[in-house]
Amino acid sequence: MGESVRLLISMVFLLNLFATLSFADDVGAGAVDAAPGAALLARETEAHELLRRAYLEDRGVRAEPAVRVASRTGNSEPDSVESDPWKDRLDSMDSIPDPLEPVNRAFFVFNDKMYFWFFKPVGTGYKWVVPELGRICIRNFFTNLIMPIRAISCLLQGKLEGFGIELVRCVVNTTAGFLGFQDVARQALNFEVQDEDLGQVLAYYGIGPGFYLNLPFLGASSLRDTAGWVGELYLNPLDYMVTDFWPNVGFRTFDVLNKTSMRIGEYEALKKAALDPYVAMRDAYYQYRLNQIEK
Amino acid sequence: MDCKRWITAAFAFLMALGVSSVSVAGGPTEDIRKTTERIIAIVTDPGLKEADKARERARQIRSAVDERFDWEEMSRRTLARHWKERTQKEKEEFVDLFSKLLERTYLDKVESYSGEKVLYVDEKAEGNYGLVGVKIVTKQETEIQVDYRLRNKGKEWLVYDISVEGVSLVNNYRKQFNSILTRSSFKDLMEKLRSKVEEEG
Repeated sequence: MGESVRLLISMVFLLNLFATLSFADDVGAGAVDAAPGAALLARETEAHELLRRAYLEDRGVRAEPAVRVASRTGNSEPDSVESDPWKDRLDSMDSIPDPLEPVNRAFFVFNDKMYFWFFKPVGTGYKWVVPELGRICIRNFFTNLIMPIRAISCLLQGKLEGFGIELVRCVVNTTAGFLGFQDVARQALNFEVQDEDLGQVLAYYGIGPGFYLNLPFLGASSLRDTAGWVGELYLNPLDYMVTDFWPNVGFRTFDVLNKTSMRIGEYEALKKAALDPYVAMRDAYYQYRLNQIEK
Repeated sequence: MDCKRWITAAFAFLMALGVSSVSVAGGPTEDIRKTTERIIAIVTDPGLKEADKARERARQIRSAVDERFDWEEMSRRTLARHWKERTQKEKEEFVDLFSKLLERTYLDKVESYSGEKVLYVDEKAEGNYGLVGVKIVTKQETEIQVDYRLRNKGKEWLVYDISVEGVSLVNNYRKQFNSILTRSSFKDLMEKLRSKVEEEG
């Protein structure tokens, strides 16, 4: 079992490197031929071509601001759309490649149904039964439990202060905080949760996201972040403490249910605000990860 | 002696710079603060709490938002390279519909306000552009980072983009619109936008 999982991880890793080289920062360099999976070729060629045209055309627009300024506005402001001093993320078409879009969209619909048919109704009932304070405590417990994931992620990025903070948090919360139900470290010592994971570690070492993956149940992810998630399975204490399959699944489901109960309404708000919720989520995920990686 | 005076002068100069940058920096943050406090006041007003006062509440919130948000600039940025191809009439209609959509989304969010603290943590201003960093602290003690990007139009600072935890609103809509525009047409986009706005009034 261990061997095959390790093999899976190495394959995913190599595939990711391969995909990153193909798709990474240039959608228009004709890198399509290096893409894995001949079956996807036709689909992505079309998508790439459209993106490429858009990208190049956009560049063309930016290349001629002088003409447009003279004819449009009277002032001397550059007319190109993204001309503020904090360009960082306002680049036009900087987004995650999505060659598996049909599959991803199918899973998107699947997750949508799962949310409205199962997680939301059960979560709402659960929310009605368990008061908020209780649910916060349960969330704290699970957060405390997966400390090794965050600690090692900090260490592997050279964030030694974060590593120390996570260790102290765990010790303090497990003892003074009754196994983690109470976040004493935050209240008394002001030590915050270090929001790090293996996906961010991989990004730190220069691995690009690869391409977008919308997974059943797990939701928005990328090739790199899924590899990170698989790696985290090795670091999660739950898997060493509860080794039987069904109790393990039970615990994880309970954790997800608890977290969902506190976030009911967010997905509906996204759907309500978006013209294309799938694209909205994909882009939001991409931007959110970039932000997390930078921090 | 000379050396000492030079250091004192340099120090005073730096202090003056520091002070002046604070007072200049009052600009964008002040405008954001004004609008935010006004909206919080509307939402927590006991006189406007009842259900029958919902329309009045919505109207007041809309007018507060209208004077801080630059709808045309936002619309222009979300259409990006597609903007210049549109006729004046199309542009106006797009700006109108898009602003309605954003107002409604904002309204929904703001109605669920329940005492969150708003901290103004950062500010940058370069020429006509400004950036205000805000931290919202919820009751469950989660912190949400919100960045406002503003442009100086005359005396006022107007918002043209909001980022929540690094996810820019303009960017997100740009991707969605681009996806629709490359697959179908502007007419189709307008149709979708129209039906979305009419969906819930």
